Amino acid sequence: MEGSLIQIDRLRKCYDTLVAVDNVTFDVRDGEIFGLLGPNGAGKTTTINMICGVLQPDEGRVLVDDRNIWIEPKAVKQTLGVVPQEIAVYEDLTARDNLNFWGSLYGLRGAELGSRIDETLSRVGLAERARDKVKTFSGGMKRRLNLCMGLLHRPKFLLLDEPTVGIDPQARLNILEVIHEVAATGTTVLYTTHYMDEAEQLCDRIAIMDRGQILAIGTQDELTKRAGEAEVLRLTGSFDDQALRDRLSAVPGTRVLRMDSGSAVLSIERDGPGLLHVLPRVLEGDFDVEDVSIQRPNLQSVFIALTGRELRD
Amino acid sequence: MSILAILRRDLNRYRRNPIRTAMLFALPLVMAAIFALVFGGGGADEISIRVLLWDEDNSLLSMLVQGAAGSEESEQRLEIVPVGKEGLAMMDDGAASALVHIPVGFTRDFLAGEVTTVELVKNPSERYLPLVIEEGVGLGAAVLSTASTVFRSELETIGTLMGSRGFPSDAAVGGLGSDINSRLRGLEGFLFPPAITLESVDLAAPAEDEARPITVLSYFLPGLAVMGTLFLAQSATRDILRDREAGLLRHLLTAPVSPGEYLVGKCLSVLLITSVGFAVLILIGVAAGVTWGPPVAVGVLMLATAVACSGTLLLIMSLVGSERQGDALTTIVIIAWSMLGGAFVPLEQMPAFVRPLSASTLVFWSIDAFNTLIHHGGGLGDIVVNLAVLSATGLTFLIAGALVLGLRIRQGTL
Repeated sequence: MEGSLIQIDRLRKCYDTLVAVDNVTFDVRDGEIFGLLGPNGAGKTTTINMICGVLQPDEGRVLVDDRNIWIEPKAVKQTLGVVPQEIAVYEDLTARDNLNFWGSLYGLRGAELGSRIDETLSRVGLAERARDKVKTFSGGMKRRLNLCMGLLHRPKFLLLDEPTVGIDPQARLNILEVIHEVAATGTTVLYTTHYMDEAEQLCDRIAIMDRGQILAIGTQDELTKRAGEAEVLRLTGSFDDQALRDRLSAVPGTRVLRMDSGSAVLSIERDGPGLLHVLPRVLEGDFDVEDVSIQRPNLQSVFIALTGRELRD
Repeated sequence: MSILAILRRDLNRYRRNPIRTAMLFALPLVMAAIFALVFGGGGADEISIRVLLWDEDNSLLSMLVQGAAGSEESEQRLEIVPVGKEGLAMMDDGAASALVHIPVGFTRDFLAGEVTTVELVKNPSERYLPLVIEEGVGLGAAVLSTASTVFRSELETIGTLMGSRGFPSDAAVGGLGSDINSRLRGLEGFLFPPAITLESVDLAAPAEDEARPITVLSYFLPGLAVMGTLFLAQSATRDILRDREAGLLRHLLTAPVSPGEYLVGKCLSVLLITSVGFAVLILIGVAAGVTWGPPVAVGVLMLATAVACSGTLLLIMSLVGSERQGDALTTIVIIAWSMLGGAFVPLEQMPAFVRPLSASTLVFWSIDAFNTLIHHGGGLGDIVVNLAVLSATGLTFLIAGALVLGLRIRQGTL
């Protein structure tokens, strides 16, 4: 596809009977930040592992800059920077030792390597801790060092697999800022996350992934439109499933996304009669409603509309 | 270049963790020190047997024993400590290898030809030295019993003379001397010359090499050094599983590094670390007075042993599922091989049924070669078979381990 740095074509990966990634197709355009949004176990990491050549797909193809990573692994890997979900650093070495080793794998040497290390550590705010062993770092500092290792050789294409998991808000903000800066220099970024706000804040385009499949791809606006510009109404209390469905069936543009004994999630088209018609019908019924909340269209509501489940489920 | 980078990284990790690195060498050194202490310090010449002598008879016999212990040679080997009843408490405290108790009336009964007893109390916490003392006391009892039979009448005369008041008359002493002399002349044909003479030849120290110092450490340090090298190889190969479990291996393979390069780099670092480790242990042995043998032969044997240790551990680590499994399995193999191979107990002291098993361990082939160099004055030509077994098996294991790991990396199961 023209203008696409990465082309993922019908990728499939199975572990015994479990289909981890099923017929995944998307492309990442040159210079964009592309988000892969989905809950844990959606298949994001498996997809990333296949893109960066760690895991061979059962079916399908990955092209990076029109080159197949399984045919030209070294040439392709030289252009990739990968920040894995695990904190993959040597804790018994210093930050500088780690980066020295990592840089040498990409052919960086001597003064150039030294200046790149200084520059990258400064960028993530770790310059003063360069000579400290990583085991003395906090979780957030280790994450930032993890990010450094992906940036050191100035890759053309940066893959980040949930790089902010388990860190404090300040460290998270720092990482997101750095990614913005890197993308501004023309680096193409593929970013996986299960945090909806990160995807909204960071990504130019987003693919929503669940249970090994891509459910939708587009910009945030495109996705919310695709979900029908619906508002999500969340009711907490106790409901008779069938009675509530019967009561709402007469209201056009209203859909029950999920219902159990303690809660109900409804999708209400903005073009239809709207909340003013739905709420009275619910409250007039013989239901014990304890709490009502309304959610404007966002990626969460898109995910709910597509899967019937919350992103965190 | 990636191979060298991986090698440099591994060496850097040892450099950055001096305590961890020192700990790897500590085990064989501590064990060697314990062996040296148990067996009386650094040299065989310093081994001394401490015996408590509780003589309630104040007898001629005990004076003879103490007199014998006072000879120049015995002074270095045997320490006789006269004690009273408190000797039993001292034995409870492990103050000596054994206590010899001579009861009241021992000399009187012996001279009278009556059956009498010498009591021996052994220290249960020592294995060999009390047995040596038991053998010695048993031999002495046999000699005295024989003398009691052969010189019965003369001994009775001595008993009578000792029991009489005042000094015995010249005639009585002269008569006794004459009787003993006559008895000995009668025995001369039976006792002299002896039909069999004992000639002791130390094969480990041929006549032209008598100056070679043989120390206790020289018996134990080779085995313990081999065991220490196995533990070094365990630590170095364990890093592969640790890399995998921490996600480092997966991350590494996202860089322009092939699984083959990673494994070659790891194998080289394992080989280098085990070789350097072994060399350090050998140098410590030299400092402690161990004469290892011809340097070239020792160097080649050291490398062959390092290859064998590295290959064995890499193969085991390549087959296990996790670091914990690898740790458990390799520790069992190292201890079992070290025991069977003769690292703790010399092969000749093992039960007969165990000895054939020894040859199935690489530890045996290494220790056997070191024994040839250290104790038999051998050279490179004398250990060719050992070198071939160690190198061929080690390289086969190393290649097999690397192939299994490579396959597992490609299949995504590592």
